[in-house]
Amino acid sequence: MKHKILAGAAAAALALTLTACGGSSSDSSSGGTIASSFIFGGPAEFKTRTDGIPGLAEHYGVSFGKYTVTDTGGPVTVNALKQGQIDAADLFTTDPSIESNGFVILTDPKANFAAQNVLPIINKDKATDGVKTTLNAISAKLDTAGLGALMVKVVSEKQDPDAVAKAWLADQGLDATGSSASGVKLTVGSANFPENVLLAQIYAEALKAQGADIKLKLNIGSREKYVPALKDGSVDLMPEYNGSILQYLDAKATATEPQDVFDALQKALPSNLIVLDQAEAQDSDAIVVTKETAEKYGLKSIADLAKKK
Amino acid sequence: MAKGGGGAMIGQVFSWLTDPAHWRDTALDTGITTQLLAHVRFSLIALGIASAIALPLGLFIGHTRRGTFLVAGANALRALPSVGLLVLLTVMIAPHFHGRTDIGYVIPTEIVLVLLAIPPILSNTYAGVDTVDPAVTDAARGMGMRGRQVLFDVELPCSLPLILSGLRSATLQVIATATIASFVPLGGLGRFIYDGLQQQDYPQMIGGGVLVAALAVTADLLLALLQRVTVSRGISGRFATKGDAPAGPIEGAITRVEVEAG
Repeated sequence: MKHKILAGAAAAALALTLTACGGSSSDSSSGGTIASSFIFGGPAEFKTRTDGIPGLAEHYGVSFGKYTVTDTGGPVTVNALKQGQIDAADLFTTDPSIESNGFVILTDPKANFAAQNVLPIINKDKATDGVKTTLNAISAKLDTAGLGALMVKVVSEKQDPDAVAKAWLADQGLDATGSSASGVKLTVGSANFPENVLLAQIYAEALKAQGADIKLKLNIGSREKYVPALKDGSVDLMPEYNGSILQYLDAKATATEPQDVFDALQKALPSNLIVLDQAEAQDSDAIVVTKETAEKYGLKSIADLAKKK
Repeated sequence: MAKGGGGAMIGQVFSWLTDPAHWRDTALDTGITTQLLAHVRFSLIALGIASAIALPLGLFIGHTRRGTFLVAGANALRALPSVGLLVLLTVMIAPHFHGRTDIGYVIPTEIVLVLLAIPPILSNTYAGVDTVDPAVTDAARGMGMRGRQVLFDVELPCSLPLILSGLRSATLQVIATATIASFVPLGGLGRFIYDGLQQQDYPQMIGGGVLVAALAVTADLLLALLQRVTVSRGISGRFATKGDAPAGPIEGAITRVEVEAG
């Protein structure tokens, strides 16, 4: 009697499992454009932010067939693109995996993606003239290709970011010791991705050489964590990207050109923070496809995705 | 944006949950219905595999009292960091699968969940069988029952409360932990928690958490019902009228053995 009930329960559980397994995803391709047959992979916030999916639709009339949330320009996105689980992805322009996998960056002629120039965001009280001069000298020398080359050393060759930072400062003639920042106590922070850690190390080493008393707080996390830390003064200096920080502080911001973004940022910043000169180096979002996909559909720019198949 | 006090937030979470648009699938977003089913699917597969491994093993170890080190070993699995293991396994497994398949992400997720579900099921099954009063099994043997009969007719019914409580705690853990499937590009209710955080859409994030909690409570209630139906009243001491209740569970079990044997 009990066995029957048990067996019945087991059979019911099994049947439920099997039905649940059976519910597989169905293919939905409609619309007829190249993009409508594509699965797009990127971070969750790309779905909603202005220059993400809404921006692509507005500027290029591109809407993808399906959106798979992967990660923010990380290994999950790269693997999914490489293995064909997604057809197009949101990656960052300085990502070494674009080159190593032969991915193709689709051009952005209508400037959908805002400028993402690297710049230091710093507590007003700690931005003495000496500190400003030191950091502005770094920004003057930092360009996208240079930053990309440094990222290959850190990510692909697994070199120590601190050593890479020191070597770069020496190469650029920025390692001169002095006392222009002596007496300043600074906590330098970074977000939790390799490029930001590297930039924080560059700032820290240069300021140390100028006599500043530096404390490092690397890999703090995302903006939700470090922007409050900047506001309450537990972190004094962070490497930032002008477009992203503007979007974070003012979700309705529309500026995309480097100088416009920089100007808009001045108004959006909390009262105790300022930004210094921005570098030419940009680490912006890019729509990336594999070489095979680019050749198969003749894709060069994002606009090509809106063409009929 | 989510501004204001806790009361406002509760209202926003409620309206997020009750907005029919959030329950449907679109090209961009996968709705609650689909993610709920995906979550149930991950959990059921993991619990099915874990039960298929841990139940027979626990019964065997408890019945023969051999290989008890396996129980201790399995308990050590509880200390595994789930997310770390998931990422490691994904990096190892996912590159082997090409094309439009998520199997390269499903396998690592299921391995993590199965490893999490095995310890409570195994140790409770073992403990349940192990702690059956020797007087009861001796009586069964004395009546001429064979080893297999003793296991399935005496030890299993007597240890059912403990076995099912192991299954219940495994179910709770698996449902709660299946949220990590969204660390790799899979669905499940964890999607809302993870995406809500990234999109700074906190009603969505909390709504996802509420759904996970509701699913866990529902599953636990179902298993409690299963336990009520399957466990012998001689064990649970739950009788229609109090006057009928025997002195204790063991006597109840013996009565049952007598009834079945006779």
